[in-house]
Amino acid sequence: MRINPVLQKEMKIRMRGWRAAGMIGVYLIFMALTASFAMMMSMEGYYRSAIDPDLAIGSYTGLAVMQFVLISFISPALTTGAISGEREKQTLDLLLCTRMTPLSIVTGKLFASISQIVLLIIASLPIFSIVFMFGGISVIELLELFGFFIIISITFGSIGIFYSSYFKRTTAANVLAYGTIAFLCFGTIFLTIFYLGVFKGYDYKGVFPLMYVNPIVGFSSILWEQFGLGSMDFFPGLIVGSTAAVDFISPWIVNLLFNITLSIVLILLSANKINPLKVRHGGRFSLSHRRKK
Amino acid sequence: MLNIKGLVKKYGKFTAVNDLSLNVPKGEIYGFVGPNGAGKTTTMKIICGLMAADSGEVYVNDIDVINNGRKAKEVIGYMPDFFGVYDNLKVTEYLDFYASIYKINARDRKKICDDLLELVDLQDKRDAYVDSLSRGMKQRLCLARSLVHNPELLVLDEPASGMDPRARVEMKEILRTLKDMGKTIIISSHILPELSELCTSIGIIDRGRMVISGTVDEIMQQVYSKRFIKVKIKDKGEECVKIMQESPLITSINKDENLIEAGFEGNEEEMAVLLKELVMRGIPVISFGQMDGNLEDVFMKVTKGDEA
Repeated sequence: MRINPVLQKEMKIRMRGWRAAGMIGVYLIFMALTASFAMMMSMEGYYRSAIDPDLAIGSYTGLAVMQFVLISFISPALTTGAISGEREKQTLDLLLCTRMTPLSIVTGKLFASISQIVLLIIASLPIFSIVFMFGGISVIELLELFGFFIIISITFGSIGIFYSSYFKRTTAANVLAYGTIAFLCFGTIFLTIFYLGVFKGYDYKGVFPLMYVNPIVGFSSILWEQFGLGSMDFFPGLIVGSTAAVDFISPWIVNLLFNITLSIVLILLSANKINPLKVRHGGRFSLSHRRKK
Repeated sequence: MLNIKGLVKKYGKFTAVNDLSLNVPKGEIYGFVGPNGAGKTTTMKIICGLMAADSGEVYVNDIDVINNGRKAKEVIGYMPDFFGVYDNLKVTEYLDFYASIYKINARDRKKICDDLLELVDLQDKRDAYVDSLSRGMKQRLCLARSLVHNPELLVLDEPASGMDPRARVEMKEILRTLKDMGKTIIISSHILPELSELCTSIGIIDRGRMVISGTVDEIMQQVYSKRFIKVKIKDKGEECVKIMQESPLITSINKDENLIEAGFEGNEEEMAVLLKELVMRGIPVISFGQMDGNLEDVFMKVTKGDEA
């Protein structure tokens, strides 16, 4: 199998030097501290036996939340400079004048960043595995969560690479990528509550459509269903839980589908943006397209 | 090898390239000359598929660049005027990366990298990090990069800009070697005397239009309509002037001690006849030749004429 040359080169560059090892080290320190903190909090106040599913759930939730937060911060940071950095270094034209397609350049850049995230996720496995000491969480559930994290990191990475291809400066791409992620995570909640408050008087049963695009909702939903805690009405417009799943599609499944679709769209838009012979806006086509008519 | 017909590129209301046509036969070194903003880089980027044209046709080795860009890119090597390099990448890794893009297998890539480093005289820097190289070395490396897939056409945008005189001479030597290897080269530069030495043909572009194109001699003839010859003699100056004045091709003559400069309306064969006549009639000729074509003067005259 032939590996994308950009992916191969990026991985070589990224893994060289102390930065990659440093990032893994810092990441694992955060995760280990979170695990310790979660266990201490779960054990506080009363005696627990060593085998206690509640302890497992507490540790697992703490670690999963920390992993989610770290991925949300790291994924865009690794991708917002992917294309704009090539422009700033004046290396983008050198890639575009080769036989590589803009799409393979964008995917090479994106998956080089994602591979670093996957490495972080895999490196955190031993820390996550402490929950198995207490029971309550199966390997399948852990893999399910890790799969969700990988999809989320691809989505956040795609958002970063999209802005990176549209803006010449990495700083602008950074601000907009984090702004978009903040909107998806929090803006959609505020908009839902505002809309339901103004137009429905908070009288809304089920999951409001905008909630499906929220990564936090998807993440909470997957944990909630793994713990089998039944349904819960978090706030108007958001019900999660196994009972709710009977009446409504699980938010995390819809959220995953939305994330995959969004990623594909953003990758294609990014590739089109860096394509020097791209289809122009407003329905006008470049010479190549006009001549084909 | 390169055939451009009626190329037009506009940026809003500004026309960067205006109905430009050009034909560069295989094996030529074609100098692309023009003031800043004349449209040289835009034309080169369109040739390399890095920019869409508004109208016109570009063929490289009979491949339509506009409709079949990916295939055309396999026969084009491009060296831009400004280029960057990656941090944390060694010289051999840099070349290997670009070679891998063209699906060259790993074993062949190693040999290609070695050969190219030898060509651009960077063998001793093979394990150096690219960002640690001097500007001249980076430019040579960039030239090597543009050759990894053995392209038939090389498009070099100001390849010697910012180089010191020694590095420029080395670059010129490399380009001559590439010409000997049968490569077709289109090169833009502001250092006009160097272009006139190196190039087989030259095109002067101004405000997006091709003002004049042809071999240096053809351009000189078109612009000046006559040649100037310089004759250095040991003695018999007066006699030499008299013999030269007998030729109907001599339009003006100026003698300064043992150096004679004359306007000459004839071709190279007729120059040879004149030299033979001087020698046959006993003039001790030390040197005889056409005065060096001054491309800078041509450039100034041609572009000034367009402005008027």
